[in-house]
Amino acid sequence: MNGSSLFWIIVFALAALLFFGTAIVITAVGIRDLKDLLRKSETKKQSST
Amino acid sequence: MNFQTLDWVILFLYLGLSVFIGVWAKKYVENMEGYFVAGRRVKVALGTATLIATEIGIVTFMYLGELGYVTGFACFWLGLNGVIGYLVIGKTGFIVSALRRLKVITIPEFYELRFDKRVRLLGGILLFLGGVLNMGVFLKMDGLFLTEAMGFGPDVLTAVMIVMLLIVISYTVLGGMFSVVVTDFMQFVVLSFGMLVATIFTLGHVSLIDIATAVTTNFGDAGVNPIVNPRFGWTFLIWILVASVGTSALNQPATTKSLASENPEAGRKVFLFAGITLAGRYIIPMFWGAAALAMFGPGLNPTTAMPRLLGAVVPSGFLGLMVAGMLAASMSTYSAYLLAWSSVATRDIIGPLSKKELNEKTTILFSRIISTLIGIFILVFGLWYEIPATAFQYIAITGAMYAAGAFGCVAFGLYWKKANAVGAYSSLALGAFAPLAFLVLDQIKNSLPQGMLWLVDVNISGFLSFFLAALGMVLGSLLTQKSHPPIPLQPTKDEEGNRS
Repeated sequence: MNGSSLFWIIVFALAALLFFGTAIVITAVGIRDLKDLLRKSETKKQSST
Repeated sequence: MNFQTLDWVILFLYLGLSVFIGVWAKKYVENMEGYFVAGRRVKVALGTATLIATEIGIVTFMYLGELGYVTGFACFWLGLNGVIGYLVIGKTGFIVSALRRLKVITIPEFYELRFDKRVRLLGGILLFLGGVLNMGVFLKMDGLFLTEAMGFGPDVLTAVMIVMLLIVISYTVLGGMFSVVVTDFMQFVVLSFGMLVATIFTLGHVSLIDIATAVTTNFGDAGVNPIVNPRFGWTFLIWILVASVGTSALNQPATTKSLASENPEAGRKVFLFAGITLAGRYIIPMFWGAAALAMFGPGLNPTTAMPRLLGAVVPSGFLGLMVAGMLAASMSTYSAYLLAWSSVATRDIIGPLSKKELNEKTTILFSRIISTLIGIFILVFGLWYEIPATAFQYIAITGAMYAAGAFGCVAFGLYWKKANAVGAYSSLALGAFAPLAFLVLDQIKNSLPQGMLWLVDVNISGFLSFFLAALGMVLGSLLTQKSHPPIPLQPTKDEEGNRS
C-alpha cells in the first residue's frame, strides 16, 4: 500500500467515524426534538380549533 | 436470489411502519405553513436528521458507488470538498440565515421580494424544470440497486419502481412536511444502521490492502489523485468547489429543511451539523464502490457493481435490514423533493400566473396534484432516459441548471446592493444556458463539428454555468442601474420582534 492510498484510507476511517458518531448523537437528541415538535403542534392545533 | 423470507418480513414491516407513521403525522397539519415547512418549529437535531435523510438516497449511494468503482480513491476528494461548502454555510449562515429571516418558503419567493414578480416566475420555472429533470434518474438508479442487491433480474425493475413511488407519494401528498419530518427521522435512523451493516460486512469480505491494491493496479496515479484523473481534473474541481460553497444552501429540498427551523440560528446550525457528516455520507458509498472493484475486477457495469457487492457480502436477515435502510434513504429523498418541487410549481408558477390569489386550501390541493404528476413523470422518464457521462455528473449538471442562476440571484441579491431585475434575468438565463446546451447537444454529439465538442464536456459546462450566471448578474445590473433601480430588501421582524 503506497502513501497516497494510506492517506485516503485514513480519510475514509475518520469520515466514517464522524458520520456514525454524529448519527448516534443526532438520534438521541432528535427523539426529544421530535416529541417537542409534536407536542407544540398538537397544542397549536387545539388552540386554533 | 439473495433475498430470503426473513428479509422480506423485515422489509414489509418497515414499509408498513413508514406508511402508517407518514399518514398518522397528517393530523398535525394545521395550515399552509404547517404543510410546507412544518409550522417552522423544527429544532437543530431533528432538522439535521431530516436534512441528512433528504440528501442521502439510493441514487446518491449509486452514483457515489459508481464513482468509487471507476475512479478509485480519487473521488474521495468530493467528500472533503462538500464539507468545505457546508462548513462555510454552517459557520457564517451564508444565504440560509438571511432566507430564514425573510420567512420565505421557496427560493423564488425571494426573487419577488428583491427583484419583481416576473423574475419569481422565470426563476420558479427554471427551478422546477431543473429540479424535476434532476430527480428524473433517481427512480431508475433505485430500481437498479434493489434488483442487484436483492438478487432479482431487471424484469422486476418496473414493479419495484412503482411500489416505491406509490408508498412515498401516499404519505407526502397527505401529510406534507409534517409527515416528511417524522418519517425522515425514522428513515435517518434506519439508513444509518443500514450503512453500518453494509460497511461492516464489506470490510469482513474485502481487506483494505486488497482495495488499495485494486485501485493502484487498475488506475495507477489517477486512482489516488483527482487532478490527474481524466474524469476530474482542475475544471471539475474548481466547478464543484464553487458549486458546493455557492449552492449547497440553494438546493430547494435541502434549503426547505433549514427554512422549517425554529429560527435563523437553528437554520444555520442544521447546515453545520449536516456538514460534519458530509465526508462520511460521500466517502462510505465510494468506498463500497472501490471494494466492488477489488472483489469483482474492472469488467462490470459500473452502475451495478456496488449493489452487486452488497448483495453478495451481506447475509440474509441483515440484507433485509440493509435494503430497508436503503429504501429509507430513498423514501426520505423522494418525499422532500416531491414536496419541494410541488411547492415551487404551486407558489412560484401557478400563483403568479393566477388572476386572483390562491387560498391555502387550493395551494395545498394544487401541491398534492403536482406531487402526483411529478411521480408519474419520473417513472416514465426513468424508464427511457439514458444517462450521459456518469450519474453523478448528470445530477450535478441538471442541478447547475437552476442552482447557477439561483446562486447569481440570491447571493448577489442578498449581499450586493446594486443587484437589480435585469441582472437577475441575465443570471437565470445564462446560468441555465450551458447545462441545457450540454443536455441537448449530448444527444447529437456524434454529428457535432470538432470545434463544438467542448460544449459536451460536462465539467466545462458545469463550470461555465456558474461563471455566466455571476457575469450576467454583474453586467446586467451595472448597465441598467438608472432604468431599473435596485429594490432594497425590507427589514423583517424576527421571532422576538426585533428588526433585522
